[in-house]
Amino acid sequence: MKPENIVLGVIGYDCHSVGNKILEVFFAEKGFNVTNLGVMVSQEEFLNAALETDARAIMVSSLYGHGEIDCEGLPQKSKEKGLDDTLLYVGGNLVVGKTPFAEVEKKFKGMGFDRVFSADVDLEKVVEILRQDLEKFAGKTS
Amino acid sequence: MVDTARLTFKQFKSIRRQVLQAWPTGAGLTLEDGLAAQKSIPTEKNFAQAMKNAGEQGRVLLQPRAGVALVEEHIKLLQFLEEQGEADLLPTTIDAYTRQNRYQEAEKGIVRSREAKTSLLNGFPAVNHGVEACRQVVDRVNSPIQVRHGTPDARLLAEITLAGGFTSFEGGGISYNIPYAKKFPLKDSVDHWKYVDRLVGWYEEQGVSINREPFGPLTGTLVPPFIAITIAILEGILALRQGVRSLTLGYGQGGNLIQDIAAMKALKELAHEYFAMENFSDYELSSVFHQWMGGFPEDEAKAFSVISWGSAVAALAKAEKVIVKTPHEAMGIPTKEANAQGLRATRQMINMLEDQVFPASRELDMEIDVIKKEVKCLMDKVYELGLGDIESGLLAAFEIGALDVPFAPALCNHGKILPMRDNDGFIRVFNKGNLPLCSDILDFHREKLELRAKAEGRSVGFQMVTDDIYAISKGKLTGRPK
Repeated sequence: MKPENIVLGVIGYDCHSVGNKILEVFFAEKGFNVTNLGVMVSQEEFLNAALETDARAIMVSSLYGHGEIDCEGLPQKSKEKGLDDTLLYVGGNLVVGKTPFAEVEKKFKGMGFDRVFSADVDLEKVVEILRQDLEKFAGKTS
Repeated sequence: MVDTARLTFKQFKSIRRQVLQAWPTGAGLTLEDGLAAQKSIPTEKNFAQAMKNAGEQGRVLLQPRAGVALVEEHIKLLQFLEEQGEADLLPTTIDAYTRQNRYQEAEKGIVRSREAKTSLLNGFPAVNHGVEACRQVVDRVNSPIQVRHGTPDARLLAEITLAGGFTSFEGGGISYNIPYAKKFPLKDSVDHWKYVDRLVGWYEEQGVSINREPFGPLTGTLVPPFIAITIAILEGILALRQGVRSLTLGYGQGGNLIQDIAAMKALKELAHEYFAMENFSDYELSSVFHQWMGGFPEDEAKAFSVISWGSAVAALAKAEKVIVKTPHEAMGIPTKEANAQGLRATRQMINMLEDQVFPASRELDMEIDVIKKEVKCLMDKVYELGLGDIESGLLAAFEIGALDVPFAPALCNHGKILPMRDNDGFIRVFNKGNLPLCSDILDFHREKLELRAKAEGRSVGFQMVTDDIYAISKGKLTGRPK
């Protein structure tokens, strides 16, 4: 099976670089073809990279609290660019202040993200969900 | 003696005209107006004075991090940390948009925060609020305030906050670029920070002391002490050259008691040595210890334990100041209550240990000796590459990876060095990249890592690095296999 392309990056003006480097190694080891945009990535850079690489999923990270402002409108722009079949995941410390995760998840799903993860999520679980989601999508389009 | 590397007043004024035009709040700001405001501030609110007193009295001062989007809420937050958290020194942490000079986005954050009735910014956008708002903040608290941020070009921020009465400014051309930016040329950030240091130097010449603090912990993730110390010394020299006098050098907790105390001792001793070599004698040097800067446990009870361990080491290492974490660290920006809890947990530990002395030992002396040798390897290379000048030397050193910070986002950083813990929890070098460490030092590191590999029944490799990065948040110092 051909490796799936995914795009990875930290959105906005966030420069938390450690987890991003770990995620890159992790997803590559799991057999994905990772385009890592690194830190301080704009919405446009995410979408352009997804178009260029024909990515199946965009994985957005945010650790510094501005996630809400930075992510606003990304799902809509993604559809406008014709990336309807590209999964949109977001994870990290997405809002300012300790907030129950259910609230954060509701907010970001409401914004149009397919999956929302907390900063301490088990990465093995993320890969499992990603594979299931990709299979579902594949079933729909083929 | 005036350093030849010092910006002339004419150069400074000409840059200043442009700097003030970057955002409307800079327009019409005069140095004299800022000086008058600084001169009206009582001594007990002067940060440089507080650091000097702490050194003389052998005290450890407590400082939190804190900043929100709106002025009134920011003032209330700082007052709360003074009253309920018993903080000795206050911060004003600047939001991440301002740190990248994105004042338009910061403005949007202010508006949205007003609508949401909660801060949507991770700090106080001081440039957008302007000089008068800063003065209100200073006026309505009792303790000295430091600007804490992560800004490669902090020239306008420094102009506004110093004219606004803040008396300490964190950062430096290396430490606020390499861990905090992606595409900012190192030469530019070093130049911009020369301006900031010159501004502070100007205040000093007019009789107002402003404290300067290079950011010691860098990426806060397994940074070997010698790398942090070398960069702190380099930024210290750059600051002194521009006329800075009150200097606080920092170091972030690594986790091993011996190594952390050794690092704090080596930091001060080496700073004095290199400053003397550069012909500086007229300065006040103090040190700051940062409680663990890496990932924290989610469980607040466990987080308090990490905070307390950092407090204990700060006291035993005789730091003048400790930067305090909160039980919400794993979740991001803390509430004011959580912030005050971190401060009180720290206070109890500092009070219990302030009069105790960590005894000299063979292990401690050996570790100090190792760190000094390592720093010398790096500093020698910087002098060699710069033909005796540290500024051109450090730029050249970063270019070839002779200076390298682990896990940093900046593209101007080599990013080849990989650290990990040895079997006793000391941070050692696994992959040296291009760091100019001499062979006996490298053998020493390798030997120590092999001991761990043997104990864990696996070979030294990248998995250990990953395991170590997440170890503390998962409940242990060293990332052992299950």
